[in-house]
Amino acid sequence: MGNFPILTAVTFLPLAGALLIMLVQAATGSNGQDEETRGRQSLMAGLIFSAATFVASLVMLASFEVDAPGYQLVEQVSWFAGIQYKLGIDGMSLLLILLTTLLTPISLIASYGTVKHRLTEYTIAFLVLETFMIGVFCAMDLVLFYVFFEAGLIPMFIIIGVWGGADRIYASFKFFLYTLLGSLFMLAAIVFMYLQAGTSDIMVLETYAFAPEVQTWLWLAFFASFAVKLPMWPVHTWLPDAHVQAPTAGSVILAGVLLKMGGYGFLRFSLPMFPDASEFFQPMMFALSVIAIVYASLVAFRQTDMKKLIAYSSVAHMGFVTLGIFSFTEVGVQGAIFQMISHGLISGALFLIVGMVYDRVHTREIAAYGGLVNKMPIYAAIFMLFTMANVGLPGTSGFVGEILTMTGAFQASTWAAAGAALGVIFSAVYMLTLYRRTVFGPVTNPALENITDVGKKDLVTIVPLIIGTILLGVTPNLVFDITRESSLRALQMITGG
Amino acid sequence: MLPDFALLFIVLAPGLAALIAGVFQKYVTDTGAMVITTGTVGLAGILSVIQLFMFAFGGGVAEAVHTAAPAAGDHGAAVVAPVQHIITLLNWMDVGQFQADWALRVDAMSIVMMAVITGVSGLVHLYSWGYMSEDPHRARFFAYLSLFTFMMLMLVTADNFIQLFFGWEGVGLASYLLIGFWYTKAAPNSAAIKAFVTNRVGDFGLALGIMGVFVVFGSVEFEPVLSAIRENATVTPLALAEAAPIRELIVPFLGLNVPALELIGVLLFIGAMGKSAQFFLHVWLPDAMEGPTPVSALIHAATMVTAGVYLVCLVSPIYEYAPFAAGMVTLIGAVTALYAATVGMAQNDIKRVIAYSTCSQLGYMFFAAGIGAYQAAMFHLFTHAFFKALLFLGAGSVIHGMHHEQDMRRMGGVAKFMPLTYAAMMIGTIAIIGLGIPHTSFGFAGFFSKDAIIETTFAAGSNGVSFGVLAFIFGIVAALLTSFYSWRLIYMTFHGPREDSIPAEAHGHDDHAAHDDHGHDDHGHHGDPHESPLVMLIPLGLLSLGAIFAGFVFYDSFVGHHQAEFWAGAIYNAADNTVLADKYNVPEWVFWAPLFVTVTGFLIATFTYFFNRGFGAKIAASGGPLHSLFANKWYFDEIYNATFVKGTSWLGGFFWKTGDKRIIDGFGPDGVTSLVRWGSRRLSAMHTGYLYHYAFVIILAALVFGAVIFWRVGGAG
Repeated sequence: MGNFPILTAVTFLPLAGALLIMLVQAATGSNGQDEETRGRQSLMAGLIFSAATFVASLVMLASFEVDAPGYQLVEQVSWFAGIQYKLGIDGMSLLLILLTTLLTPISLIASYGTVKHRLTEYTIAFLVLETFMIGVFCAMDLVLFYVFFEAGLIPMFIIIGVWGGADRIYASFKFFLYTLLGSLFMLAAIVFMYLQAGTSDIMVLETYAFAPEVQTWLWLAFFASFAVKLPMWPVHTWLPDAHVQAPTAGSVILAGVLLKMGGYGFLRFSLPMFPDASEFFQPMMFALSVIAIVYASLVAFRQTDMKKLIAYSSVAHMGFVTLGIFSFTEVGVQGAIFQMISHGLISGALFLIVGMVYDRVHTREIAAYGGLVNKMPIYAAIFMLFTMANVGLPGTSGFVGEILTMTGAFQASTWAAAGAALGVIFSAVYMLTLYRRTVFGPVTNPALENITDVGKKDLVTIVPLIIGTILLGVTPNLVFDITRESSLRALQMITGG
Repeated sequence: MLPDFALLFIVLAPGLAALIAGVFQKYVTDTGAMVITTGTVGLAGILSVIQLFMFAFGGGVAEAVHTAAPAAGDHGAAVVAPVQHIITLLNWMDVGQFQADWALRVDAMSIVMMAVITGVSGLVHLYSWGYMSEDPHRARFFAYLSLFTFMMLMLVTADNFIQLFFGWEGVGLASYLLIGFWYTKAAPNSAAIKAFVTNRVGDFGLALGIMGVFVVFGSVEFEPVLSAIRENATVTPLALAEAAPIRELIVPFLGLNVPALELIGVLLFIGAMGKSAQFFLHVWLPDAMEGPTPVSALIHAATMVTAGVYLVCLVSPIYEYAPFAAGMVTLIGAVTALYAATVGMAQNDIKRVIAYSTCSQLGYMFFAAGIGAYQAAMFHLFTHAFFKALLFLGAGSVIHGMHHEQDMRRMGGVAKFMPLTYAAMMIGTIAIIGLGIPHTSFGFAGFFSKDAIIETTFAAGSNGVSFGVLAFIFGIVAALLTSFYSWRLIYMTFHGPREDSIPAEAHGHDDHAAHDDHGHDDHGHHGDPHESPLVMLIPLGLLSLGAIFAGFVFYDSFVGHHQAEFWAGAIYNAADNTVLADKYNVPEWVFWAPLFVTVTGFLIATFTYFFNRGFGAKIAASGGPLHSLFANKWYFDEIYNATFVKGTSWLGGFFWKTGDKRIIDGFGPDGVTSLVRWGSRRLSAMHTGYLYHYAFVIILAALVFGAVIFWRVGGAG
């Protein structure tokens, strides 16, 4: 690929699309078309740009050398005061970027026909969000990372706050403030690191040895931010509210990508930069992970709102990510990265699945459903597939991440492994109950009498996720081969020291 | 062994057939789906049965030794490496030492299981042509049946614990889908979830066991793990403990220091308890009878529920050096054998009687494995598949002929309407009670396998194996009860006058979904029973042959003088485990005891249900405490509901309403909001909205935090 800045291209292509849409709409603002038509045009344009970004990210995948050590495709430009505009990827960032570029067009397609007002702004928000998300995963400078990390909050805050449900204001503020509060601690830590190490270059900081007592504080500051993002118990309560209020596409991105920033952060920063502190906090992280798994699973069982149930299920499944990361084993970390990718696909699909019936019946109450299989057999089959993927049935990607993270944890603490394994029982309870209440049984709600099965649009959004979930379940090595190097590097400072 | 392409066909073709029948049912039609699945599984069945005969009688072992490389390599000659043939399809997981392949591993154990699975499955497919002929969702049904067959085959041909777990959970999925096949009704749905979740409780143990295996041995593949135990190799655990010879290795688990093999043995057995419906985790099996009867025959009698027995026998080296875990297997097995038999005596639903009977027979298999007679356990698994599938399909024939009546109290006198079904049920009954004359070759299949268990268990008891004596006593008593409830079933169903007297309750359980829509055209609901069509009778006939001859024909291979050659190292017995040889030397009365109790049970049943029809009903009506205990399954469902089900639900509600809402949100965001609002009102009259309040708190917090950091660092530096 020579010197073509592919990472910059992938990162800013959506933003360029957003600007273009804005300019075109402003320029043609007065030619008489109604708002809805213009919105649809914007959405189509946004879709084209996000699809182009996906293609560009495939080019990035093709240029990536699996066996090469360290970061690749690095681009570096001096910014100000020693801070650089520096991008680069390793296997972990590569896959998270691919997940982002896959889920964004899917989200936009899912919005087609369901989001009615201010569609242009909606599209722009998603494109801007995509740029920031990609930027988070390939920024190689702490300050740049922080800019992307924080900036991503704004479009999501707007998506929930403008296109959300009835309680969207409360939910969007809760989301915004929880995450902002967390990241302010991180900002303080970043400033401190810059002052002490004299650089904000992530590659340099990875090998910089902070004094152990300093590490503890820095670790905690980063933890504040990542724990909220992930989210970990007990700072998870923003997530169910945000999901319930967010539009379907917002939930897909939120669960599919934004939560992964927490796990990414632990692996990119906490482990390599603060290895001593990471080891010191291992018991706490295990405890919080296991609590998240068990607690959130039990709470999920009692939910009456489909999206809230899936949101709590997300909290539980992200617990496996932190469990695997803090096992400090290759198996655990590989499993954690895999679990992030897998959960991105499965939770994204589950929110789409909820969205499909929400679009038709306009309620998320579980009690309003029942007997969908009689009217929507294909929908029922797809829902069954992702129900099983979410309970970690072997053969789906859900299994691989769970078994590996637990196996990793077993090496460090049998308590943690046993506690997490309880979650495997509970996930079956809440998912099968949800499925039974919505899909099985006779049709009792008259509103469901004329409901139609999944259409072409629904299939276009969900089929890529079906393929991904099964493909990665059967041949997870596709991921492991790419992330092996990142995993071992994240552990280098810990197992080496 | 068969050539590779035939082995691949046997295992993979049912999966492909399921995919075609399930996903493309619109294009292949119901009949197409039925032809594809039945043809594929039937052909696989014929090949597998031929393979079993070749292996047992056709010099299969000698041939196998030549074709398959011994996997253990050049380790000591004293240790028997299993003769096996592995076809690796694809590397599944490659994460450091965590290596798992998609592979087909064929050895004596999997050859036996393949024959049982595909043989019974083929017959059940055929039978379902008749039994499900009125169902509008036949394509889906046959797709599920073939999916199950595929998953079960993946389970028994795995060469590592992870693929085994894939098959293990996969059969659980198929079982869940088939129990809940009639999805519009409440009872099958609840039963399906109960089955899946109870199995998951078992899988909790199995998954931890597999993790334990990985951490201790650094591998999840069978051969490295099992050969290390056979050779007492020194293993270096990845964590938790120092290197030591495996049989002496102690590892910490949940604060306890336990021998590694005991830990793994117990955890794996918990998985087996779930899948095989053993005491404590048995509650799902009777409810699983809500599924269509062919499913009960295939999954909940002949194959899936025996997966636990298969697992224990597969890892026999572990239990050979884990006396505590083996004792637990024996104890749980013995208790289940007796417990389920007591409950089986007091059930009125024909399928539930047979379900408890299955549970009880699985108990026999487990205590046989627990005392070290894995071969006898596998033998009973093998013969049981024939006669139990026969009993279920026979019961299905009765239910079909009786227009979906399952309550035996409303049967009676069916024999003259369904003579062929009656004959098949008689054969199944004689086989399950194990009728035969000791020291002769006369006996039905169950005689050979059950008596092998009784005799080896007595020998084990005499050798001082833990719980051996208890298992022997429980086994004998359960044999008496087995005979009683089996004959009770025959008498209540087939003999005496037709009983239509008991008013119809809500329509029978095993009811076709389509039934309400178009019913039977040719006969009224309460017309006389009719014999079943030929497609249902052919499987009954073939299974009858198995129920009669399978024991006699295979005795020498499985547990007799040729067992060592037959198993070819697939089952391992430690040097001091001689129960299989000792079974020839037990006292004479031990040989005769099973026959004596069986005849006694027969006589009691004949007295209470044949000569004094109504006597049994009187006992039931009197409501004695013992009868109530048995009829209510020892109140397991009630106890579990009151504790686990209610407890979980309460905890979920507590965490949600009190934990999340009141405490976390109350002291967190909501609390802070109101605090700030209160504070700002005090400070000024300005009300700038939420954002201002939050920003205030955030900045304050950041300042405090930053100050602390700099103070700390400054102090440190």
